Amino acid sequence: MRMFLAILACKLLRFVGKLVGKGSSLPGKYALKICPDILRRVELPPSIIAVTGSNGKTSTVEMIAAILRAGGKRVVYNEEGSNQIEGVTTLVLNNATFSGKVKADVLLIESDERYAVQSFRFFHPTHFVITNLYRDQMTRNGHPESVYDAILPAIHPDTELILNADDPLSSCFARGQEKVQWFGLDKCSISVSEPTGIYHDGAHCPVCGGRMDYAYVHYNHIGAYLCPKCGHGKHRTDFTATAVDLEQGTLTLDDTYTVSLAFRSIYNVYNILAAYAVCCRVGVEGRIAQTVISNYVLKNGRMQTFRLGAHHGTLLTSKHENSIAYDTNLRYIASTRIPCSVLIIVDAVSRKYFTSETSWLWDIDFDQLSADHVQRVILSGQYCNDLAQRFAYSALTEGKWQVIPAIADAAEALKATGSEDLYVVTCFSDRDKLLALTEKEA
Amino acid sequence: MELNLIHFYPDLMSLYGSYANLSVLSQMLEKMGNAVTITYVEMGDEADIEGADFLFMGAGTEKRQKFALEDFVRHGDEVKKAAERGTPMLFCGTAIELLGKTIFDEQGREYSGIGLGSFTAKQQARRIVEDVYGTTSLYNDAVVGFMNKSSLLTGVETPFLTATALGFGNETKGGAEGFLCKNVIGSHLTGPILAKNPRLLERVIAAIYEKRGENCPAIPKDTWAEQGYAVTARELKNRCGK
Repeated sequence: MRMFLAILACKLLRFVGKLVGKGSSLPGKYALKICPDILRRVELPPSIIAVTGSNGKTSTVEMIAAILRAGGKRVVYNEEGSNQIEGVTTLVLNNATFSGKVKADVLLIESDERYAVQSFRFFHPTHFVITNLYRDQMTRNGHPESVYDAILPAIHPDTELILNADDPLSSCFARGQEKVQWFGLDKCSISVSEPTGIYHDGAHCPVCGGRMDYAYVHYNHIGAYLCPKCGHGKHRTDFTATAVDLEQGTLTLDDTYTVSLAFRSIYNVYNILAAYAVCCRVGVEGRIAQTVISNYVLKNGRMQTFRLGAHHGTLLTSKHENSIAYDTNLRYIASTRIPCSVLIIVDAVSRKYFTSETSWLWDIDFDQLSADHVQRVILSGQYCNDLAQRFAYSALTEGKWQVIPAIADAAEALKATGSEDLYVVTCFSDRDKLLALTEKEA
Repeated sequence: MELNLIHFYPDLMSLYGSYANLSVLSQMLEKMGNAVTITYVEMGDEADIEGADFLFMGAGTEKRQKFALEDFVRHGDEVKKAAERGTPMLFCGTAIELLGKTIFDEQGREYSGIGLGSFTAKQQARRIVEDVYGTTSLYNDAVVGFMNKSSLLTGVETPFLTATALGFGNETKGGAEGFLCKNVIGSHLTGPILAKNPRLLERVIAAIYEKRGENCPAIPKDTWAEQGYAVTARELKNRCGK
């Protein structure tokens, strides 16, 4: 009876919530009050896929859903990204019959790293994808190893882990776990010999602290590592990107499926690879993944185009407090080789909480913008001084960057001159402040 | 002057842009006409601590801190002698705990620090992650920054911050924070605190000159740092008491 009431309450609140535009965690919260172990009582689909990690969760989940659906699976997933237990509860109950059966083949969950242990208290995923673990939102997460410690107890021995073999830290989840599948990228056109970036989290082994060696690196400290002291190293992969050409925009999976990349970023490559791996594991054919993912444009709005005066603009949403997200977008700008300007905005560090913490700016490799085709860089927002102080220590010459504190003034200054491409690098918290001043592209 | 700065474990203890403390310090010292050398000391390396004008170690994870400690104890006696001589030092984040007597990890395991201070660090499961707005006996302006720690310190007699209007002290919310002993500053404030606090940078530079027995000339102002400090101090002050 309690289960019935919880499901009813959840469905009603969700219905009303949708009408008034309220978020999706509240109905689940009430349902959990009525029946705290509701997630244990309901009948879940045969496959439960969870995705967590520092970067790429939302994009990976979106692609997994698209591939699975094309493969004929009925998929239920948290498209709105409410990735804590309340949101998961809303998702499950809203898609359940009143007798508690979830009407789907796959339950797909984007899970917050820190709250995975709560979400999976009453059930556990059949497949758990962990994309990577980096420095991310340290104001709430502490540091990558504390996130590791938070995820670890959420892993059930029966769960099959799908891990990134190229990431030394998240690879450690395989230790003591029986069922593990690995994805990774072979040495390819983008590989370099040494880790890149401002800091080097792969310099020391996460297991024993020894100095690590790299055979090759794809970006930052992600690549083929080996600790000579304890043997912790890149695992042989089960799902492999065997060739990548970011200039041509192609990716080959397992020497068989070649995919055209809508967005030519190394990030996109890893997200696709993770999605492909888990979809194969739940029985979808690789060629279906290939068809769906080729030229797939993400719908999550992290990359948007617009016009500002004579400029063709591209917004590259980069999470503040996440240096690797910034680095990846800066690398993309550096790779375009077409004359451009760049606008970087740090106005509110977070949209969810207050902080004045800007130390993460020092972790970003802004030197990448010293490329010749980057004509000017404008720094804007409340924390433009912190940005300027950081830029004063970058490889960019002083004349190349300027500070315009008010976002509206920065937009006006750009509008007034030039017609080069424009890249805007900023976070969810600040992007609408700029987008509101731009025009939609015809 | 020819100045030698030592950076201990630059990769291992590198969280939150710690390295920037040395970037701003060395650049300012160079601007003042000095020739600056930064020596990076890794695990197993020898270090000329006696010949150093400044010692620095940044923040690391609790696990990496133990790897650093295992190596750093070799340098303990030299570091203590240098502190006694008045050598300026900055130990940020978990690095401060290495200066104390004992560290207890989350599981209660005991590790010996170098014993420059007589305090004890106790690590716990709960992380304390907060903006900091505090006062120091070193100068009048507020100290701003951020802390990201899992430890409480007991037994500190001479703290770096005398009170924290925002943030968590060594033992209590709002209490005194960090460790100050002659020219040694230890603090759980993480990241580039010398970049964020122009007065603190000036204080460290003055100490470097003082230790060399030289008069410290006027220190140039970094406009971005001053303006950045003003914004952060204003924003944090507004949060105090809320």
